[in-house]
Amino acid sequence: MKALLKKEMRLSASILSYLFIGFALMTLIPGYPILCGVFFITLGIFQSYQNAREANDIVFSALLPIAKLDVVRGKYLFSVMIELAGFLGMALLTLLRMTLLSDSAIYRQNALMNANPFFLGMALLIFGMFNLIFIGGFFRTAYKFAKPFVTHIIVCFILIGIAEALHHIPGLEAVNAFGFEHIALQLSALIAGAVAFTLLTWVSYRGACVSFEKIDL
Amino acid sequence: MNIVELKNVCKTYPGFRLNDVSFALESGKITGFIGRNGAGKTTTIKAMLNLIHTDSGKVSYFGLPLNGHETEIKQRIGYSTGTVSWYPRKTIREITAVTRTFYPGWDEEACRRYMTLFGLEEGKRPIELSEGMKVKFNLLLALSHRAEVLILDEPTSGLDPFSRDELLSLFMTLKEHGVTILFSTHITSDLERCADNIVYISKGSIRADRSRQDFVHDHGRPGETLEEIFLRLERGEES
Repeated sequence: MKALLKKEMRLSASILSYLFIGFALMTLIPGYPILCGVFFITLGIFQSYQNAREANDIVFSALLPIAKLDVVRGKYLFSVMIELAGFLGMALLTLLRMTLLSDSAIYRQNALMNANPFFLGMALLIFGMFNLIFIGGFFRTAYKFAKPFVTHIIVCFILIGIAEALHHIPGLEAVNAFGFEHIALQLSALIAGAVAFTLLTWVSYRGACVSFEKIDL
Repeated sequence: MNIVELKNVCKTYPGFRLNDVSFALESGKITGFIGRNGAGKTTTIKAMLNLIHTDSGKVSYFGLPLNGHETEIKQRIGYSTGTVSWYPRKTIREITAVTRTFYPGWDEEACRRYMTLFGLEEGKRPIELSEGMKVKFNLLLALSHRAEVLILDEPTSGLDPFSRDELLSLFMTLKEHGVTILFSTHITSDLERCADNIVYISKGSIRADRSRQDFVHDHGRPGETLEEIFLRLERGEES
């Protein structure tokens, strides 16, 4: 497994996958739909799939002395690793906004979404949907990725729109809490996001294994 | 002794069928796999590498069925093609460094030796290599993990006569060291020099599987080259 991840990181990956983790910094931008950072991180992962296709990576991997399904496992491991690295960055910056910057006017006077555990839960949901739609969709052919990626873009921005709109609905203001207000609700949203990410990634992985096993390379 | 065996391998695509393909590779011999473009050579090789699902039939190496023993078999075989290059923008050093981690039996000394022998520079990228050098790089990866069986899919296609000659000499040397080679090509003149056996495929079916001498004896006319025999067979004329 170590060799597989090393191959993904050193041969298949696009440098953009690593650089785009930096979009986690968008968490700090005031007056900006900060969940867009999640989209850019998935865009970086997409670049690696494009890179891999151009480099005949799937066939090269299938020729290695590994089980065919390890090719799928390697791609998921790499993608989840990038997602979690981005998530970790967002979590640390969210913590910063919840503590030291919680009373900062530029964040308080903000019509858009605040950085809090609900935001992190939504980020995990979007990562999970990316795994389900894009990575799962890619492994139906191990070649075509335009349709899965366009679908991901649409779903991603619908989810961002919903997340941005929720706290404007009367009664749901608590999802945009500052500091440690409504922390139980906020943490519940984060846990729900983590569960959704795990489930969506697992369902996607199982489906990708089934699809890839049937493919002729 | 047969080291690789295919038995009744069938695969149907729209407009093409690989039909009951059966043949074997003898240990330490070079088997020429000939057929025109689209005859089924690459499909057969893909079946041998488990890259496609066959409709029926069996492939085995070293007496072990490929299905169920794929990982251990792939430790002992190598594949090279003249038509595909891997990771064109990565350096040879990077590709080699990653590939070696998959093979416990990787021979770093052999890797260095072939690197020098083939004139490969570690800092170069496949995109900067000529077709011949790409084939040599693929061979280096295969030989460095001490592959006992080499499956070569049109390794000499697109090469100049000098590069072809170099590769053929290399194949002969490898054979002397006990490596079994399947050499798929439509350039039959390459096989005059190195092949011990000939497997001839046409329209998805094996038409002949015998030693090169017997193939020439059975199908050729006096003084005919393999290429002339091949052309005549493809035109549907028998000797």
